[in-house]
Amino acid sequence: MSELAPPRILVIDDEPQIHRFLGPALEAAGFTPIRAETGVAGLRLAAERSPAAILLDLGLPDMDGKLLIPRVRGFTAAPIVILSAREQEAEKVAALDAGADDYVEKPFALGELLARLRALLRRAGAAAVEPADAVLRAGPLEVDLAARVARLSGGEPLKLTPREWDLLVALMRGGQGRVITQRQLLLAVWGPAHAEDTQYLRVYVGHLRQKLGGAAYLIRTEPGVGYRFGECTDQA
Amino acid sequence: MLPTMVDEPHRPDPEALLALARREGRGRLKVFLGAAPGVGKTYEMLAGARRRHAGGADVLIGIVETHGRAETQAAVGGLPVLPRARFTYRGQELEEFDLDAALARRPGILLLDELAHTNTPGSRHPKRWQDVEELREAGVEVWTTMNVQHLESLSEAVARITGVRVTETVPDRVLAEADAVELIDIPPAELIERMRQGRIYRPDQASRALRGFFREGNLTALREMALRRTAERVDADVTGYMRANAIAGPWPAGDRVMALVGADAAAETVVREARRIADALKAPLVAIHVEQPSTAAGPDPGPALLLAERLGATTETVVATDLPSAILREAAARNVSHLVIGRGRPGFWRRLTGRTLSAILLRRATDFTLHLVPMPVAGPRREHQEPRTLPRWIGWAATLLLVVGAIALGYALDGMLSEGALGMVYLVPVVAAAAGFGPAQAGLAAVLCFLAWNYLFLSPRYTLTVASPQEVVGIVVFALVALLLAGTTGGLGRSVRATRARIVGLRRLVEFSRRLGAPGDRGDLVQAVAEEASRIVGGVVCVLLPLLPAPGETAPEPVVRAAVPIDAEPDEAAMAAARWAMANNRAAGRGTDTLPAASWQFRPMRTARGLAGLLGIRREDGAEPLEGEADRALGALLDQAAIALERAELMEERARGEARAETEALRTALLTSLGHDLRTPLTSIRGAIGTLRGAGSALSEATRADLLATAEEETERLSRWIANILDIVRIENRQLHPKRETVDLAEAAEAAAVRATREHGREVALDLDAQAVAHLDPVLLDQILANLLDNALKFSRPAGRVSLRAWRDGPEVAIAVEDDGPGIPREDLHRVFDPFFRATRTDRVAAGSGLGLAICRGLAQAMGGRIAAESPVTADGRGARLTVRFPGL
Repeated sequence: MSELAPPRILVIDDEPQIHRFLGPALEAAGFTPIRAETGVAGLRLAAERSPAAILLDLGLPDMDGKLLIPRVRGFTAAPIVILSAREQEAEKVAALDAGADDYVEKPFALGELLARLRALLRRAGAAAVEPADAVLRAGPLEVDLAARVARLSGGEPLKLTPREWDLLVALMRGGQGRVITQRQLLLAVWGPAHAEDTQYLRVYVGHLRQKLGGAAYLIRTEPGVGYRFGECTDQA
Repeated sequence: MLPTMVDEPHRPDPEALLALARREGRGRLKVFLGAAPGVGKTYEMLAGARRRHAGGADVLIGIVETHGRAETQAAVGGLPVLPRARFTYRGQELEEFDLDAALARRPGILLLDELAHTNTPGSRHPKRWQDVEELREAGVEVWTTMNVQHLESLSEAVARITGVRVTETVPDRVLAEADAVELIDIPPAELIERMRQGRIYRPDQASRALRGFFREGNLTALREMALRRTAERVDADVTGYMRANAIAGPWPAGDRVMALVGADAAAETVVREARRIADALKAPLVAIHVEQPSTAAGPDPGPALLLAERLGATTETVVATDLPSAILREAAARNVSHLVIGRGRPGFWRRLTGRTLSAILLRRATDFTLHLVPMPVAGPRREHQEPRTLPRWIGWAATLLLVVGAIALGYALDGMLSEGALGMVYLVPVVAAAAGFGPAQAGLAAVLCFLAWNYLFLSPRYTLTVASPQEVVGIVVFALVALLLAGTTGGLGRSVRATRARIVGLRRLVEFSRRLGAPGDRGDLVQAVAEEASRIVGGVVCVLLPLLPAPGETAPEPVVRAAVPIDAEPDEAAMAAARWAMANNRAAGRGTDTLPAASWQFRPMRTARGLAGLLGIRREDGAEPLEGEADRALGALLDQAAIALERAELMEERARGEARAETEALRTALLTSLGHDLRTPLTSIRGAIGTLRGAGSALSEATRADLLATAEEETERLSRWIANILDIVRIENRQLHPKRETVDLAEAAEAAAVRATREHGREVALDLDAQAVAHLDPVLLDQILANLLDNALKFSRPAGRVSLRAWRDGPEVAIAVEDDGPGIPREDLHRVFDPFFRATRTDRVAAGSGLGLAICRGLAQAMGGRIAAESPVTADGRGARLTVRFPGL
């Protein structure tokens, strides 16, 4: 996927110090960094340079980072990673709901950021190549969408209720390598009437983890935000 | 279809629902009602209580009078009895129902015989029914007994029938609000038989009773009253139920009864009669008093109005000169259908001319049913003395003197004037007497003057005979003019006096409200209230405010906050009344229904939010109770004081709220600063190190050096930030202890400038005055200067000019740091010293933590100095100047 030219990564942050180390770090990891210090510049560069992914700080001097996301989404599907502070819980969730794909908390470990970035790019590339997989895999788990059968390490089919099945598929489709918010899951599985009923989600995720047994680690909780699905690949 | 007069859709009547709701939470009241003593009320009550006791209910006997009757004694059975309270009052050993013990014990059902009983003096309430009210408020169910003759509205009728006036009465609303009324009824013949057998009174008493009260006719009448009352109550229950449940029924709508409460002895009879009529019609009752400013004040209608209120009427006082018109206007405005008035004792003249109130109303009140109530049988005739400043005889003596003066004047003018004109001279004393003293004196003056004129001047002189018809006409005219003058001038004089008194009262009220409106704390306020109240009452007063209950206590404690005279303080017994008044938001103490034995009276200052405070009043033992104008003035004062106190309290609350909001804002700012200023350098340091470790070999030498520099600079930034935070915390907590020594400002400024130049690589222009010496902490001063210079260098263009000036300015020394940067917007000038205030970063300069100037201000103030910002300072509208001043040496 990257033989032609290094993928461009747009970094939108108003702190020059962040650019000072992210620039060399991204370059060293095989990306081409594009620097933007304001929201307006970021929007322009996102349109002109069509980056493969965008790193976005929510606290910009000229505009709210959250409002930038829908505008970027208007012309590109490139993954967006939020650089946020821990206490900005609501901001983070709102940004993810608005269309961001993942987040890292400041001060973040560089390795983690790069791993997340790679996972997102891989997934974006895969989605472009084969739009609908008949069989989804994650670790020992194998889900055959056509036959509606889920197996662990090729064993007996798991006994799942229709809701649990829907939840598992939603997690595997949306949450592989990125965060999927509680709201997004509730909308996908329960419908808009239950978008706020996070209690349902907790109960069903609990059931699902029980049935997955040894593979329960695949569903990771992001406290206050949502869930992430898949093997743990990104810790540096 | 039911015939209905209700044209709205059937909704539950809110008032009926409210009445039901009011009953909830209160203890139930069950009344055993009888027609006469001996019908078996107490026995029935005890029998019912024993059944409930056997069923497991917590029954307690508060007071049961067995009157030595064996049957009743037996009926007490094994029921627990509350010991009576014993206390001494004026050397006598007394027993009474123990209200506090009952409240503390909180039984399920409390038996309390004789609802109409009058408590022994010194008890909390004068009447037992008031004890019952308090018990019910506390949620205790009470069973009690009562004879129908004790009902307030019936006492007049009972007196008429039996010839015995009952003094122990119970307000009708107590019975009306009872949850259950059980009628104990036996035929009179049977009751008399019991009586003969001595089962009610001892034989000697019994025979006397049988001749007096217990005549069959009396008993039959009383029995009818009891039966009727119970029937009315059942009716009211049904109506109430129907209204609460929105069942349409054919009850009459629109009837309203208005009682006219005059200033005469018949007023209370009128009120009672009106209540009866209203009850019979199931109509609301309004009692109205028309105050006529032109007539001399009669007896106070206050007691009659209070009685009307107790009987459940709404009361109103209106002021008007024309009594019949006022009555008709008020009646029409209130949609009244029945008018109840007293027959009164009109004078002969009025009766003759048909100008009695009843006659006028008969003529004009064509839209109303008119009820005329006769005067009470033996109503005590109240003598009312108009308060006067001078003894009466002075008026008479002065009248005589006036007449003598007129005679002397007549002699002096004799011969110069005609006889008719001399008559005019004699009108002078008549007018003077009328205006100065009253109609009686004017009448005397008129008679004397007429006689003198006739005898001394009219021919034939020195006789009282009248010679010519011309003179007869003259005499008649004189008499008419004199009488007319006496009447109108007297009336005028009275209204002038009344108006003057009113104006004085109003002016005082206005003056007082201005005092209340003036800004001041609550201390000034309560002092003003106490002074004004003392002026109205003419006695010792104090103002008590509630002190919030201490942990473990439930009721607020009244505390004396102002008193006139300054050392007046209620004694412990009076404080009990104050506590009760505060807890119940009602008047208590002397002259009220609660703890009347106390030497003080306490009146609440009520607001919509509850009780603002109490006014305590102590008057001379012989002093008349407060009446009329003074009472109204005191009421107005209490209302105004309550509002003023509430306002003061709200303002204090708001000030506290603002202080809290400020602290809150500081805390929020600190958190935001932590989030940003701590995290950004940490991210940079971690990122730089991560990059170096992860991809160090792939990076160019220059990049590696830059990353290391980043980590270093950001570490420094972090340290500075933490130092700043610690400084601000120390300043905010006043933990700064400057170590002062004599400092040469020029020297300190130069050192700071040199260091700033080294750090920023830019020159600082110096203008230093060697006279500037002060007693300061050199370390803190250096920190101030470093911060100011740092700020100036950061906010100005790289090629811009930053100057530092130190000079002596009168008794002060000053240091100013000036730059030619973008300056500070006018609206931010006063905020730049607030912690965490940041300049907008238009120039893309890395702004600091927003603490620099706050620290400067804190340090300057700690050393007795001050700091000010000015902007713009250059001709082209740029730049800022920050000046610190200290007391010089």
